[in-house]
Amino acid sequence: MSDAVANGTPVASDPAIRPTDAAASPFTMVAGDPSAMVCEGDVCFVPGATPEA
Amino acid sequence: MRPHRFDLSVSEPIKIDIWSDIACPWCYIGKRHLEAGIEALGADAPDVEIEYHSFELSPDTPLDFEGSTVEYLADRKGMPVERVEQMLEHVTGVAANAGLDYHFEKVAHTKTLKAHELLHFAKANGKQLELKERLLKAYFVEGGRVNRIDQLVGYAAEVGLDADAARDALESGRYASDVQADIAQAGAYGINGVPFFVIDGKYGISGAQPAEVFSQAIAQISGERVA
Repeated sequence: MSDAVANGTPVASDPAIRPTDAAASPFTMVAGDPSAMVCEGDVCFVPGATPEA
Repeated sequence: MRPHRFDLSVSEPIKIDIWSDIACPWCYIGKRHLEAGIEALGADAPDVEIEYHSFELSPDTPLDFEGSTVEYLADRKGMPVERVEQMLEHVTGVAANAGLDYHFEKVAHTKTLKAHELLHFAKANGKQLELKERLLKAYFVEGGRVNRIDQLVGYAAEVGLDADAARDALESGRYASDVQADIAQAGAYGINGVPFFVIDGKYGISGAQPAEVFSQAIAQISGERVA
């Protein structure tokens, strides 16, 4: 999991803002790094991956 | 710490609303990444205005958990202690890369609602960014008890807030409804996890994204305004 945090960094030529399928959000989601960590409840994780601390 | 202010390249500052909790290791890391992303824009950086919003990650956290972080997480997740230790080591390493000196062995797990009330008091008095930084440092670096009014008043005073007014705000619960309003707003927006960044009221960024993601998004939004 630690490798994923670093490897997903977008390159400078990537468009910053691209639509995602976050249907519940009223915002245009910035795709960014799919391995960026999010915390929910007591756990933090890469969405779709194993829970982290 | 003063709010980020840079030379104007657009007429109005770009607003960055951030939902986060104090007890959120990736919120502090994400905060540093955002700051680095803004700094990386250098002279091209637009004026930005940052506002933090309350989010309570774990409402059932005990008010004063006396055990260690490892015990707390292992018990809650039902995971082996060794695995929890590995995860904490990983987070500590990523935090160090962001310039943060995490000490999970000191962390005092607690509810954060009172800390959020104080953040609203600080916002009303122009010191929210300073207090947010102080509370995150207290929690992850120093092992501060961010639920105790005496300690919170101390942090408030350290960032230049009036100690008596801060104590009155906390003891009266005057800002409790503002905390709940933020949490409800997050729910209405479909925000289930933090950190969550909303830029210019239109663009969402989820998670502790790399600095480059923030730089690119802010630059693109600034460019759209100018065009």
